[in-house]
Amino acid sequence: MLDRVRRDVERNALRARNGIKLVAGVDRPGVGLTPKDVVWERGRTQLWHYRSDKVKYSPPLLIVFSLISRSYILDLTPGNSFIEQLLDAGFDVYMVDWGEPDERDAQNRLEDYVDDYIPAAIDRVREISGAEEVNLFGYCFGGDLSLLYAAHHPDAPVRSLSVLATPVDFTKMGPMADIFRSGGMEIDDVVDENGNVPPRVVVQGFRTLTPTSEVTRYVTLWERLWNDEYVSAYSAMTGWSDDHIPFAGAAARETVQMLVRDNGMVTDRLTVGGDRVHLSDIRLPFLTVRADRDHIVPPDATAPLIDLVGSEDKHELRLSAGHMGLVVGKTAAKTTVPEIIGFLRKRSDESAPGPAAGQEEE
Amino acid sequence: MTAQTPPGTPLWRQAFDAAEKRVTPHAESLVRTPQFATGVGLLRRAQNLAKDTARGVSARAWHLVNLPAGTDLARLRAQIGALDREVRRLTVQLETERRRPPTADATPEETDADGAQPAVSARPRPARRGAQRPPRA
Repeated sequence: MLDRVRRDVERNALRARNGIKLVAGVDRPGVGLTPKDVVWERGRTQLWHYRSDKVKYSPPLLIVFSLISRSYILDLTPGNSFIEQLLDAGFDVYMVDWGEPDERDAQNRLEDYVDDYIPAAIDRVREISGAEEVNLFGYCFGGDLSLLYAAHHPDAPVRSLSVLATPVDFTKMGPMADIFRSGGMEIDDVVDENGNVPPRVVVQGFRTLTPTSEVTRYVTLWERLWNDEYVSAYSAMTGWSDDHIPFAGAAARETVQMLVRDNGMVTDRLTVGGDRVHLSDIRLPFLTVRADRDHIVPPDATAPLIDLVGSEDKHELRLSAGHMGLVVGKTAAKTTVPEIIGFLRKRSDESAPGPAAGQEEE
Repeated sequence: MTAQTPPGTPLWRQAFDAAEKRVTPHAESLVRTPQFATGVGLLRRAQNLAKDTARGVSARAWHLVNLPAGTDLARLRAQIGALDREVRRLTVQLETERRRPPTADATPEETDADGAQPAVSARPRPARRGAQRPPRA
């Protein structure tokens, strides 16, 4: 009894200390710390090249990130970083980060990303690495952009395509999509004075998917506030899930019409830059990874993808994880990442170690 | 107490978990009903209607004294944004064209166009051969 009282008193003292730290915003874990160089930029978009002296596979891996969230989830904290694991495995890793759109990006359409930025990034990667092609990797909505790119550019210099938590059946995306599909809401109803969908709308949309999770989150935090390790992980993870970026207005309009209302990926009604594109035209070696406990992109929304692409060499990896758990945490380190690395290794050539990647000459 | 409750879980947490377990399915099915989607849409429209009315009134007031209103500035920003996008797209497309190797069947016009370029070559420098490039067979 006395031990229990002593433990509770100690924990309450730790709770008070960690609570003050959280509220004051001090002692936040550093995120996105893996050393990298900006090797190309246009507007808010940057191409990052992660430094590594362990590169032993070619072609390089180009990650296309989502348009509505921050890319540091893939490089969360040292020791808990998807990027770090890819570098340790010997890949030469690049990432397209879309930056934070402002009023200059309000007119950006999906074709800007699919036909201009991704091809330009691939060209730059090939120029830097000397490789003839790249392995393309799309995360979340970045997976949709990668799919549209691969479908619209069947002769693209891409050796393989992997997508992670990528929605294709938007009828299964839950209330956020339903509001636009059956609720009659228009993107113009939610755009801000910059012409973009503000991040708070995106965050609210995701919160609607699990209406009670916000309360549960705070209750769990209170219960485990004494635990420094938990609080540090909480700060990094919830910091990311609350930290979205605006969605470029024109791209959002196109997404709602083509992907949500027409459900274009499933119904084969996709248009990029005025051209009809078909996912069945994708013939690349293909991997799709979906998470069974994903509350942001429900597994049913990703499930049809494997049957929609035309590749002969195609694989689906289904994991018992959440959206973030696919790339962050112990499950990711033990299951998702080794599986992805295994897939990419088979589609890469091993080469002799040479000069370190990164620190490009400009 | 449920079978999944870990040992040592405080009573208040057990009570919360029990309540949450009952409430969550109802809340999740509620937000997935067509009525919820319609309700959110209508609420948003009502908010926008009120906001637009207030903006219209203030814009008329500013225009009365011959000054631009926020809506005028928003329109200008949108136009500048559209222009910025066009310039960005053209720049990216130009970069891509410059990277593309010259074709053998270039027409005389294309050759002339190449000759008119500045003395500093617009073509990209040769690609660096990285360590990750596979050894030649």
